[in-house]
Amino acid sequence: MSSDTAPIVLEAEAIHVHYGERSVVADLSLQLTQGTVTALVGPNGSGKSTLLKTMARLLVPSAGAIYLDGKAITGMASATIAQRLAILPQGPRAPEGLTVRELVEQGRYPHVGALRMLRQQDHVAIREALALTDMERFSHRALDTLSGGERQRAWIALALAQATPLLLLDEPTTFLDIGHQLEVLELVRRLNHERGMTIAVVLHDLNQAARYADRLVVLQRGTIMSDGPPLTTLTPTILEQVFGVRAHIIPDPETGAPMCVPYATIKT
Amino acid sequence: MTTTQHNHQVSRPDPRSWLIRTFPLALLLGLIVIVGLLIVHIVVGTVELTPSQILAALLNQADDPLHRQVIWSLRMPRALVALVAGGMLGLAGAILQAVTRNPLADPGLLGVSSGGVLAVTLWIAIAAQVGDAESLPDSGLILPILALVGGLTTATLVYTLSRQRGTTNMVRLVLTGVLVGGLCSAMTSLLLLWASEYNVQRMLRWTIGSTAGRVWVHWHTLWPAALLSLPLGLACAGIANGLQLGDEMATSLGIRVERGRAMLLFAAALLTAGAVAVVGNVGFIGLVGPHMARRIAGSDGRRLFPLSVLLSGSLLLLADILARTLSLDWLGRLTNLPIPEGAGLPVGVITALLGAPFFLYLLLRQQQ
Repeated sequence: MSSDTAPIVLEAEAIHVHYGERSVVADLSLQLTQGTVTALVGPNGSGKSTLLKTMARLLVPSAGAIYLDGKAITGMASATIAQRLAILPQGPRAPEGLTVRELVEQGRYPHVGALRMLRQQDHVAIREALALTDMERFSHRALDTLSGGERQRAWIALALAQATPLLLLDEPTTFLDIGHQLEVLELVRRLNHERGMTIAVVLHDLNQAARYADRLVVLQRGTIMSDGPPLTTLTPTILEQVFGVRAHIIPDPETGAPMCVPYATIKT
Repeated sequence: MTTTQHNHQVSRPDPRSWLIRTFPLALLLGLIVIVGLLIVHIVVGTVELTPSQILAALLNQADDPLHRQVIWSLRMPRALVALVAGGMLGLAGAILQAVTRNPLADPGLLGVSSGGVLAVTLWIAIAAQVGDAESLPDSGLILPILALVGGLTTATLVYTLSRQRGTTNMVRLVLTGVLVGGLCSAMTSLLLLWASEYNVQRMLRWTIGSTAGRVWVHWHTLWPAALLSLPLGLACAGIANGLQLGDEMATSLGIRVERGRAMLLFAAALLTAGAVAVVGNVGFIGLVGPHMARRIAGSDGRRLFPLSVLLSGSLLLLADILARTLSLDWLGRLTNLPIPEGAGLPVGVITALLGAPFFLYLLLRQQQ
């Protein structure tokens, strides 16, 4: 989907992020181009979630800047950002008894504001978000009565109701079984193919990342170690350097995307 | 595909979707219940009046001026005070439960109630030191205003103490509220120990919560606070909904989290302080009311908040009807306890006696 001429929709420019004294992201620059699915991968603590949150203004970088559609994010109203960029944080929690419909309705907040009622176009967006995630039949069910996969789809529907061209997902497949993981990833691909959405997603499974993303960004200790299409990024060298494993790389029999089969850890 | 799913949904109606469609009806029903309770509150009492006497008194055509006096100067303001104070405590509870994401939060969380009560007891104690207590005003405006100021001061203190690097940590807020509240209660207890028997009676009415002897002057301190804080709290329902999903999700939706939370906490503090300033520290209303509302309307603040106001108001009104009609004379005859003849029950005792077991019942049912 990506091409060299596609405009940059979200950009991190030389950002540093600290948790207290500890540096989590150091002098990192990343550009997301329109219509691309980018997967952020890396070992635990490599800063991938931190990077995603910082790009979505959930964290403030100690240095550097984030640009949304070429404009610095710091000067923009939060609601204006929310009309263009939706982020689903990791493991969100809803109050007891909240229904799917009530949850998804809140995705219209950046368009409606705190005081006004939902208008016709809001109801259309909510219906569309529920249809895309196949959650219509659950719309009046309480979130806490749903299975893990259904619940995750409900949260994605909330982000989709924001009707943004840009979607950031922080580990959307964690704690889901393999079937529900694929469901979420297939939805990501559909949103990209059918709606042209630009999506960045933090993933743990390298093979899934290689299969569903156009571009892999491999992080280690807060810096980018490798960046590009899966074929060039998922290499034995990178797996050794970043993840500390020796692995065979073989083509996916289904798609031809690279697949890694680790067989030993490297003791240092 | 979409239409078949839609039909499927219609063929098996969900009770909750029915409720959402009929929510305006539920509000209307709540209002009817409130009018009914108001009528009962005005009709029952120690001075027994026939319906026609009450109607005549209401229409200012009473034969006996005492009837008009009883209805207009005693029962009417007391009923209104109970209703509105209950509603305010209910909304405060619902707001704090949403903001702290803790279903057990109650209006006393910010230390508002204990701070307000401490201000009142302190005034009574100082007044007793300065001159003869009887001559000092305590039925007028001074005590409610002191309670309001005391409550808001405590809330500001708790909020300031729980801030760190420009953000408010909710766990810190709850803990600070408990600590500051406990400190205020301890000082109130100390003042109670030192006070004369007459003053202890007056102080206890505030610590337990009472609507006895609330007249128009109290109503006049209550309604401005209600007029300011009820609409503010209700208008913040959309922001509260976002905050219920966590700070990150709320930010992602474009909500300015710190500002929104400060606004909601201010609304809750004003609601609680305004109510406590007039009826004292009435317990459990702000916990039980929102919980009943949540069972009916769910967790969406746009429905939960208004229903919490109506239900909690009705509950305090109902409790006050009980407070005015229940007599403990039988207990005195039965047990030889030193209960003075004709002693009333403070409404705060009723809400605690009924509210605590009811809340326990809710918790037990939830576990099953």
